[in-house]
Amino acid sequence: MRKKLIAGIGLALVAGLALSGCSARGTSGSGDSGSTIEKGDLIGVALPAKTSQNWVLAGAAFKKSIEDAGFKADIQYANAGNPVPDQQGQIQSMVTKGAKAIIIGAADGSQLGTQVSAAKKSGATVIAWDRNILNTKNVDYYVAFNNFKVGQLQAQALLDGMKAKKSSGPYNIELFAGSPDDANATVFFNGAMDVLQPKIDDGTLKVVSGQTSFSKVTTQGWLAQNAQSRMTDILTKSYTSTDLDGVLSPNDTLARAILTATKAAGKDNPVVTGQDSETASIPLIMNGTQYSTIYKNTTEEAQAAIDLVSDLADGKTPETKKDKNNDNGAKVVPAVELTPILVTKENAVEAYEGNDELEALAKQG
Amino acid sequence: MKNLKLLFGKGNSIGQYGMIIALIAILIIFSIATNGLILEPTNIINVFLQYSYILILALGMVMVIIAGHIDLSVGSVAAFTGIIVAQSMSVWHFPVWLAIVLGLAVGAAVGAWQGFWVAFVKVPAFIVTLAGQLIFRGANQIIGNSTSVPVPEDYQPIGAGFLGDFGPDFGFSNGTLILGLVTCLVLIFLEMRGRQRRKKMHAELVPLWVSIVRTGVLVVVTLVATYLFAAGPVGTSIPIVAIILGVLTIIYGFVTKNTIFGRQVYAVGGNANAAVLSGVSARRVNFFVMMNMSVLAAIAGMVFVGYSGASGPADGTGWELDAIAAVFVGGAAVAGGIGTISGSIVGGLVMALLSNGLSLVGLESNRVQIIRGLVLLVAVAFDVYSKSQGRPSLIGGMLKQFQRKDTEQNTVAAQQPRSIEDQPEKVNTP
Repeated sequence: MRKKLIAGIGLALVAGLALSGCSARGTSGSGDSGSTIEKGDLIGVALPAKTSQNWVLAGAAFKKSIEDAGFKADIQYANAGNPVPDQQGQIQSMVTKGAKAIIIGAADGSQLGTQVSAAKKSGATVIAWDRNILNTKNVDYYVAFNNFKVGQLQAQALLDGMKAKKSSGPYNIELFAGSPDDANATVFFNGAMDVLQPKIDDGTLKVVSGQTSFSKVTTQGWLAQNAQSRMTDILTKSYTSTDLDGVLSPNDTLARAILTATKAAGKDNPVVTGQDSETASIPLIMNGTQYSTIYKNTTEEAQAAIDLVSDLADGKTPETKKDKNNDNGAKVVPAVELTPILVTKENAVEAYEGNDELEALAKQG
Repeated sequence: MKNLKLLFGKGNSIGQYGMIIALIAILIIFSIATNGLILEPTNIINVFLQYSYILILALGMVMVIIAGHIDLSVGSVAAFTGIIVAQSMSVWHFPVWLAIVLGLAVGAAVGAWQGFWVAFVKVPAFIVTLAGQLIFRGANQIIGNSTSVPVPEDYQPIGAGFLGDFGPDFGFSNGTLILGLVTCLVLIFLEMRGRQRRKKMHAELVPLWVSIVRTGVLVVVTLVATYLFAAGPVGTSIPIVAIILGVLTIIYGFVTKNTIFGRQVYAVGGNANAAVLSGVSARRVNFFVMMNMSVLAAIAGMVFVGYSGASGPADGTGWELDAIAAVFVGGAAVAGGIGTISGSIVGGLVMALLSNGLSLVGLESNRVQIIRGLVLLVAVAFDVYSKSQGRPSLIGGMLKQFQRKDTEQNTVAAQQPRSIEDQPEKVNTP
């Protein structure tokens, strides 16, 4: 009796599964049929937490460009408290919802392998945006500003700024780089050294502290206090009897920290570079305290990603570059690289045109 | 009504299944809101891939909370283990199995450290694990240089892999089907053995139909789960991490219900003085409960690293709170002595499906957080209210037929020790 019961139940289960199973598998994974994107399709955008003004702008910029291009937008920000698992979940949800292209501004580019592979299997196009996604073959495109170019522009600005103050060298300079855990920091520094190294070699530039290698000039965590204390130490050690003409700073926060240190040491303001066009730095640029910054137009960057998607939808092959700086560890990701704008006092107002907040600040200055 | 009582165990009313009803309600609401997306096989598989680590943490956390403690360090311990495991493979080139063994050893060592302070020095667990949170987070940052360390591909299946496909293609994952059917047979076997045993002992026997319906419900749930896991796109099936979670759930369910140690955890949490007077070593219980938690945190950390493909500097932030929320939604009491493994799993699933459903609807993650907070508050308030009305705990009574009867009634009213200090180590009898 009991055995019959078990056998009966068992059989019923198998039968039930077999009957319902005819159309079960493969309903949601249509990877083979090609990833054609059509107007009206869902485009997912996964952005990291709103930790800076730029990311806030990015969301609005994406919404506008996606809708203008005739797609449906699903824009998600990761939660600041627990960004990585949150973003992983959001990307999975976009895949489940059937997004045809997923644009990812990674919270941590090395921790999205599983999600990106799921997206790829579902037939979606994966675009890494602003930050590359590492150690996976499943990224189709990378859209970002050319960070090597950022470094070159910073170095050139440093040279120009010092030349404007003192027509001939040798110039005394110091070098600062970003955090060693940020892959971009190396690229910025290499770009800058591409311009500066020949001048150091021929004696036009003199790094008085002798600290020129990346590992010696890094700023852990991009923290202002680390840059400030390193600058103070260098000033006490190497600049008691000599002048400091210029400092290569990778971003605006560090530039302000460096200027605080030189001011505290009673030195004249050196020529200091920057990046990011932070609202706190723009007045300093307008009054000549900080020499330059870099502007990366977020709206333009978002538009570039959507243009890429539109090209794919039209069946065109997007124009991309193979740049070894975009090697993610598994492949060189085909990239759309945008050129950043160097901003000094002279061109600030026109450079920030279209960004109301920055434009107003530049005009005030 | 009497029949329902027979079905769900004595002394329980249908209302005590609050959280299971909530779980079903969530599934129904989001099925409508997402046009059935939430119950797509792909999505259910994703939910387990995504949230298993929290459920694994909840298994240990419920025991810590039953014992009257709390563990705030699990996120940091998970991250600490994760970075060591990732480093061991990418820098020292350990094989995968050795890295996993190393991870478990690290978890055990961390656990022994925390257990020592809690059980022997008698520093409250809140403080010990708050310190642990700072210590192991710092250690994690130092070892990983605050960077992400990738893990090799052959390690990733423990967090992101599936039971492999084999045999003829029926349109389902064969391994998952077999696993599901075996589970069903085991459920039926257990119910029958239980009946037989009661018959032998001349104990009161529930009517046959009750047994059949009760087992039937569980079998149907298993089958639905089997179907969902088996019917995903080719290449997916039941995630390995879900199997790990299932095995751990069975082990810890058994330990808490059926072993001396498990009952001692309830005894110490319910009334430490009484437990010690009855010959329970509170020190031993506290030590092992804390140690066990860190081992599970290590497993959770390793699983997450596999899922993410790398150990990142922000891993583990806030995980302790997710685990604690799952346990309390699952009906555990802040004062200790009350809580079940099955309740915590259900609690964890409620929170996970809530996040998943809201994310599918497209709600912003900050709002999702607010809703999760409110659900936690309402769930516990509901429980507290029902207790104050003289009824047994609504959520706590859930799934009670799986639990020994003496747990609650004997422990709810017992006086709680004010602090660790109140727990006498030795009792001198004249």
